[in-house]
Amino acid sequence: MKNTCPVLDIQNLSVGYKKIPVLNSVNLSFQKGNFVSLLGPNGAGKTTLLKTMAGLLAPVSGTVMVNGKNIADYKRTELAGIIAVVLTEKVSPGIFSVFEFVAQGRYPHTDFFGRLQKKDLNVVNSALKMVNATDLADRQLSSLSDGERQKAYLARALAQEPEVIILDEPTMHLDLKHRMDVMSILRRMCQKKGIMIIASLHDVDIASKISDCVALVKNGAVTGWGSPEKMLSGNSVADLYDFDDADFNPALGSIEIRGNGQRGKVFVAAGMGTGAVLYRLLAKKGFRIATGVLHTNDLDCYVAGSLGAECVVQAPMEPVSEDLFNMAAALVRQADFIIDTGFLAGDLNQRNIELVKYALAQNKKVITMRRQSNGFFEGFNCEWLIKCFDETEVLEKMELLF
Amino acid sequence: MKQMDNMAREIIFYNRKRLYLFFSLLLFFLIAAGGINMTTGSMNISLPDFFNIIFKHFTGTTEGFIVWKIRIPRALASILGGAYLAVAGLLLQVFFRNPIVGPFILGISSGATLMVSLVMLTALGLGMPGLNPFLITLAAFIGAGGAMLIIMSIASKVKSGVTLLIAGLMIGYLCHAVTSVIIAFAEAENVKGFTLWQLGSFSGFKGSELNIMIFAGGILLILAFGLSKPLNAFLLGEEYASSMGVNIKLFRILILLCSCGLAGLVTSFAGPVAFIGLAVPHITRLIFSTSDNRILIPGAVLLGGGITCFCDLIARSLFAPVELPISAITSFFGAPIVIILLLKRSNSL
Repeated sequence: MKNTCPVLDIQNLSVGYKKIPVLNSVNLSFQKGNFVSLLGPNGAGKTTLLKTMAGLLAPVSGTVMVNGKNIADYKRTELAGIIAVVLTEKVSPGIFSVFEFVAQGRYPHTDFFGRLQKKDLNVVNSALKMVNATDLADRQLSSLSDGERQKAYLARALAQEPEVIILDEPTMHLDLKHRMDVMSILRRMCQKKGIMIIASLHDVDIASKISDCVALVKNGAVTGWGSPEKMLSGNSVADLYDFDDADFNPALGSIEIRGNGQRGKVFVAAGMGTGAVLYRLLAKKGFRIATGVLHTNDLDCYVAGSLGAECVVQAPMEPVSEDLFNMAAALVRQADFIIDTGFLAGDLNQRNIELVKYALAQNKKVITMRRQSNGFFEGFNCEWLIKCFDETEVLEKMELLF
Repeated sequence: MKQMDNMAREIIFYNRKRLYLFFSLLLFFLIAAGGINMTTGSMNISLPDFFNIIFKHFTGTTEGFIVWKIRIPRALASILGGAYLAVAGLLLQVFFRNPIVGPFILGISSGATLMVSLVMLTALGLGMPGLNPFLITLAAFIGAGGAMLIIMSIASKVKSGVTLLIAGLMIGYLCHAVTSVIIAFAEAENVKGFTLWQLGSFSGFKGSELNIMIFAGGILLILAFGLSKPLNAFLLGEEYASSMGVNIKLFRILILLCSCGLAGLVTSFAGPVAFIGLAVPHITRLIFSTSDNRILIPGAVLLGGGITCFCDLIARSLFAPVELPISAITSFFGAPIVIILLLKRSNSL
């Protein structure tokens, strides 16, 4: 960071409505060109904090400093050249083309009657281009879909040529495609134009991948502030949202939802990512999952761990040891089903094949997703060996046999 | 980039051509309505005679007297009244971000009526022979402002347009109730004058009254036009407007001043005139197919003036020599528009 003072500096700030604080003693400092996400459950006070930072709400106590000057000392037009906002409420200005709407963003830069000069037209055009909405320019704002509208809102904020854009849940109501569009546009604004983005978001996974900084907001306070890599460990996200049966896995950047585990116990012999999808499916359908023997660097190990499965794990790069094999064998004996995901067997995990053979020897019901399994299970009692192509078929077979 | 730039300029150029065309048409309509209003009536005056009277300042003849002392003040008053009401309505619609409001609907005219009744019918106005027009104007302005303040405090609590509408109607009823109590205790002679005033008419404007209309109204009109940039920003909502640099507190006060001043001014002289303030902004929006207030304010001035002048003509010539209240005519064309808007529930401003 250069030696410049932070664009936004918040000191001992309490925010709220009508002198009743929602968030207390917030201390944050925002550096130029950063992408900052506010995370936290609904009603935690994210919107109130954002509006106070944008100067739309007066703080209950404390100060917001913008470029080293108290926000309350700014003239409104002056502040408008520094901070632009995108709010959640739907804007319905009446008969406005997208171009005219975006041009409203020039408000702090135009003359008394808001006449657009050549420079203003250029700024509006390039704002539209930046959000990939050049083709929407002539459309009526009221005729746009939610995704297109959001782009128009972003372009309007951009046309204001601010240093900071503050967004309140910019991806709300959007489908996945537009959600990704909006996020990548924001990222581009941040990286190409050096505009600081402060956004409240609900997608922890996207936030963790896109932000330079996250602030965790809960129970009337900012409970965490720092880089997402540091702040979004599994437990902190679960605490933030009071997850009972879900877990955020920072390595995968995804939220795994644990099942209730009230149905039978299933042992999955997996490895190298072949089990991940199956684990999720089994958890969703309420099976208790045991799995092994997984190396700790295996994708399957992360997913199974997040889902709360009983895992027998082995340090990476080492062959499965005898002890671990026996532990896994014990789990096999307790299981109602054994599923073989068709993992590739090499030197290190050869014994997982033996686990499946062991299950067959124990007269367990074994389902295999292996395309060519003949060689492996020769000489075993294959009465209970069920062959399936994919995860859904596995589940169908299990439902049948239960 | 170059191409896009050209495109934007083409759009603006095309719009500008359309703009001039529509403004010319509206101006023509206004002049036509004014001209017909001045030449027809109990005594029809041919166009050449009319121009003679106008340009040679004939006041000695009967025709000259009628044109200069009756027709011109009346036509001017109806044009100005309509223009002011239309702009007041436009400001209110943007301010409340609600298409179905206007000075009459929101009870602002009723508030003005109440205050005027206090002045005209009670001891407050006694001892002032001939009733000072300034006093009535001031009373109307205070009444309009009071009603508007109540409406504003309700509007800050409810978001629903229909709720606001009903609240406005209720304030209207309350004001009427108080007014009727005042009437019950008033002297019969005063009541007649008040009742006539209340029916609404642009007749009998004196020069001094017209001067107040022109100057006070003109200043407010210019102020309103000066507000068109923040008005446009306000269409996006109060918070967006504020974030773009609008000083909301000052803006609120100016809107209050303009809309109540304009509506109060017209009401104090011509009585409560229904629906012009509501319907004209909508028709203007449809004609120009824009919500840009820089265009709508002058548009509403021309159209409001023209329509009201035309309604005035109908009011006095339909069953001549019986003169109908102006509100009867304006309601006939304004009320259906409200119903259509309610049915469509379109939020288009």
